[in-house]
Amino acid sequence: MTDQIAPPGFRHGLLAALPIVMGYFPIAFSFGVAATRAGLSLPEAVMLSLVIYAGASQFLALALVTGGAPVLVAAFTLIAMNLRHVLYGPALMKEAGKDATRRHAWAWAWGLTDEVFGQALGALSRGQRFSEPYMFGLGLAAYASWVLGTAVGGFAGGGALEAWPAVSAGLDFMLTALFLALLLSILSRAALPAILVAVLATVIGTLMWSGTAGVLAGMIGGALAGMVPGWSRARRLA
Amino acid sequence: MNPDLILMALLAGGANWAFRALPTLMMRSEPRPGGLLAGFLGSTGPAAIATLFTASILPALTPVRGDLLPVAAGVVATVLAFLPRRSVVAATLTGALVCGLVTALMR
Repeated sequence: MTDQIAPPGFRHGLLAALPIVMGYFPIAFSFGVAATRAGLSLPEAVMLSLVIYAGASQFLALALVTGGAPVLVAAFTLIAMNLRHVLYGPALMKEAGKDATRRHAWAWAWGLTDEVFGQALGALSRGQRFSEPYMFGLGLAAYASWVLGTAVGGFAGGGALEAWPAVSAGLDFMLTALFLALLLSILSRAALPAILVAVLATVIGTLMWSGTAGVLAGMIGGALAGMVPGWSRARRLA
Repeated sequence: MNPDLILMALLAGGANWAFRALPTLMMRSEPRPGGLLAGFLGSTGPAAIATLFTASILPALTPVRGDLLPVAAGVVATVLAFLPRRSVVAATLTGALVCGLVTALMR
């Protein structure tokens, strides 16, 4: 059935990125404000968003830099935070099935953040075909929003959204709403064990250790839960 | 520009690119259907999305911030907006709008 549907193009990816764009902009804006407040220049703040392009890592980078951490220690701390991204490409390729193409993956995979991965995976789960132009559109819009938000935040300085608390609250909730909508879009009986284990492991990991530990525990725990049916089948056959 | 800052950004950014691109480029064959790797990769997406939703909503649920009502309204609005057309974009924007409106009404 899905064979008859044309694969989505670049423009389709740009449009699908709208919630991500609206969610990224205020966060990147906050980063720009925080970076200039921490003593970085506007070009330095924008450079961090252009080169690192990972939200939580960038805020941590500010804390490490202003705290005087050695450059290698700071770099390896940031690297450890994003280890989860190694799972995204293969998971996406598996979901794409026979449409999976990787010719330009060296370029579009740069944009494979949590939100872009979630949006792409949700679209595939709803029957959309995989295409590299779509991935470029999705990733480019999100990346542009992130870099532009940083530049505007760094330029505007602190307090720009403080006069608009309702707007700020709505924008803050944007990524939560996006993840919830994506979760609803992929919800199925088969995915339920992975989802439940992931939620539980995230809560336990966050409460007992830290937010980063919670995220890693949730992703790995949930993915391992998906191996149980294959493992019990292998045991029955043995 | 501070050279240490540039070096840190290049190392972290280079690793980010490697984490995001190399596993995709190096995956040359599909995992065996029903196998352990297929199960792991198939569950990675739902697990990641569930994890990120939980991680993003947890701070709002802590009593210190007291943002529970706008967040609860946003969650309900997101679910209700999703159900009729299963549109992720419409559900996300509706949820954020309702969360902002309830915040405005509470002030």
